[in-house]
Amino acid sequence: MVCTKQVYICHDTITGIFSAIYDAWKESRDTEAGIALRGCLMPQLFCEYREVDEKEQKSIAVERLIKNNLGYNAYWDLYHALLSDGPEKADAVYQTILAARKVKDSRKIMEHLSNPHVAKVFELSRKVANEAHLFTEFIRFRELDNGVLLSEITPKGRVLTCIADHFTNRFPLENWMVYDKTHKVFLVHKAGMNWILVEGEELDQTEAEKVSTAELEYERLWKGFCKSIAIKERENLACQRNHLPIHFRQDMTEFR
Amino acid sequence: MAEVIQEQISLYDKLQILSDAAKYDVACTSSGVDRQGDGTGMGNCSKAGICHSFSSDGRCISLLKILFTNECIFDCKYCVNRSSNDVVRTSFTPDEICTLTMEFYRRNYIEGLFLSSGVLKSPNYTMELIYAALYKLRHECNFQGYIHVKAIPGADQELVKRVGFLADRMSVNLELPTAESLKLLAPHKTRKNILAPMRLVQQKMQDNRQEIVLYRNAPRFVPAGQSTQMIIGATPESDYQILNVAEALYKKFELKRVFYSAFVAVNEDSALPAKTGEGPPLLREHRLYQADWLLRYYRFEAKELLDENNPNFNIFLDPKCDWALKHLEYFPVEVNKADYNTLLRVPGIGYKSASRIVKARKMGTLQFEDLKKMGVVLKRALYFLTCSGKMMYRTKIEEDYILRNLLNTKEKLPDSVTGMTFKQLSLFDDVNFREAQIQTIVG
Repeated sequence: MVCTKQVYICHDTITGIFSAIYDAWKESRDTEAGIALRGCLMPQLFCEYREVDEKEQKSIAVERLIKNNLGYNAYWDLYHALLSDGPEKADAVYQTILAARKVKDSRKIMEHLSNPHVAKVFELSRKVANEAHLFTEFIRFRELDNGVLLSEITPKGRVLTCIADHFTNRFPLENWMVYDKTHKVFLVHKAGMNWILVEGEELDQTEAEKVSTAELEYERLWKGFCKSIAIKERENLACQRNHLPIHFRQDMTEFR
Repeated sequence: MAEVIQEQISLYDKLQILSDAAKYDVACTSSGVDRQGDGTGMGNCSKAGICHSFSSDGRCISLLKILFTNECIFDCKYCVNRSSNDVVRTSFTPDEICTLTMEFYRRNYIEGLFLSSGVLKSPNYTMELIYAALYKLRHECNFQGYIHVKAIPGADQELVKRVGFLADRMSVNLELPTAESLKLLAPHKTRKNILAPMRLVQQKMQDNRQEIVLYRNAPRFVPAGQSTQMIIGATPESDYQILNVAEALYKKFELKRVFYSAFVAVNEDSALPAKTGEGPPLLREHRLYQADWLLRYYRFEAKELLDENNPNFNIFLDPKCDWALKHLEYFPVEVNKADYNTLLRVPGIGYKSASRIVKARKMGTLQFEDLKKMGVVLKRALYFLTCSGKMMYRTKIEEDYILRNLLNTKEKLPDSVTGMTFKQLSLFDDVNFREAQIQTIVG
């Protein structure tokens, strides 16, 4: 008899992957199964592929399952791993959840770094968290003529939800917006309200270029400041590059 | 006269002049205080601090670092803004400072404001202006981000206190390590005038801690602590003297940080070292920072690292390796038994890996592979450690032998010490370079 592996195919979103985990957990947690992302699928022999019916309810159920059984800290790592750009992330998270069934204390699953799936989740989660931290540093807003602050970024992972609380707390009375150009997602904050994520829209480039009159002057002041604050006798571009990789500079005011 | 010139200077030029004049101040950290925004204004602070950009010298830009004014009645020999220098003089108004800070902050350019100043008219007058600017920023603009402010030596106690309630960190620059040097290079400043506000801030912080215990919502006084900085290489002090001063500051004044600033020759003056074309003494500055860490995190004392006969750091070895080589009688230590303090003194073991070792060895006997995973730098530590009584390789416990091997492993200097090769070391780096040392290394 040929043993077939069941592979669940879903979109690269939290809802999609959590729905796939829901189906996989429900139907085949005791047999061999995996999760693959649509668009980065490598068909293998002896596998049966199935499209996942993606639903918000399934996603909520999985979130609860993880939080209740593995604890909030493990959920934090799993969630952040899913925001990364690695194609193997969904499977690593699913296998980690399965591995947690077998260890004595499921809440300590993230300490089992000798398990390759757990190690993968740990690596991805750290990558995303580090990238998100760098964006709290390097994001630059510009003021549009309607007073909205707009920032465009080109992150590798889906970092918007990681930085949202930071900026909401920092600029509670401002209307601001961060546009993730890689994944085409907006993070939108209206003054005095909480933030929301908007998907399926594209940035109107002509509107985005209409900056306020004061904006150009502040950009000029800032660029001037960045130059005058450097000590010529200590110039060290390698050190600057190590701390502020070239990749980030495309969206930063002082390097444009 | 000065006022006439001021009117014609644009905000852009003012910012150029007053940031250029502030750039020699080292501290740009926005760390030490964790504060969430209360939703009625703008800003918050994070404990570890946030850098926002890096300038072409590789230093981080975290705060809007500016002088209130570069007019100054003092004539400190090393300073660009000394009264005898002929430079364009200008001042910000409190409004301009508020606008710049708020507009830069809301674009996420900066983490807050670093406000220093030349002495305009008198210390008190200047401190009043600083107070006015900070008051406006905190209470009218409702700015809740980070503020680092300089206390002007000689200003009234009451003013220093009032400013301290508006700022997160306060610093008084010690400028030079000894009172004699200060007299020589900063004739208008005295050691007493510098230490008095430092003591005041310390006492006020202690009082404030009591107040907060009693009344949870009492206003915070300089919650991120105070720091200071010294110029290195402008005067002939030895590393030993400098380190002793730093130690005294940590112990007696409870400073958060002492910063060291490699002397950059901006003025020609007979009292200053001549311009050499060799650049600032960056390696010496680096060694002082390394030793500073040993004082703050590794429970070393200045007198253990250096003494009167050996008053300067070894340019080839970091201070910890240097200490270990001179005290081989303590080594090797047994990883599975040695107490935390002993582990801290082993080259290649940091304070984090030391505490990991102490925790992990409760679970089982540690081997060299385990140490590697915990972040111990074995290529340095292997000469000083045993695991279950065995050393990693067959090594001799001899100063010359270990020194030769350590030098072969090449210390990784940070990028901040630019492409430093032995040839570029200047006399400032090791004033009393020991001949015997050269022979050990060459031979």
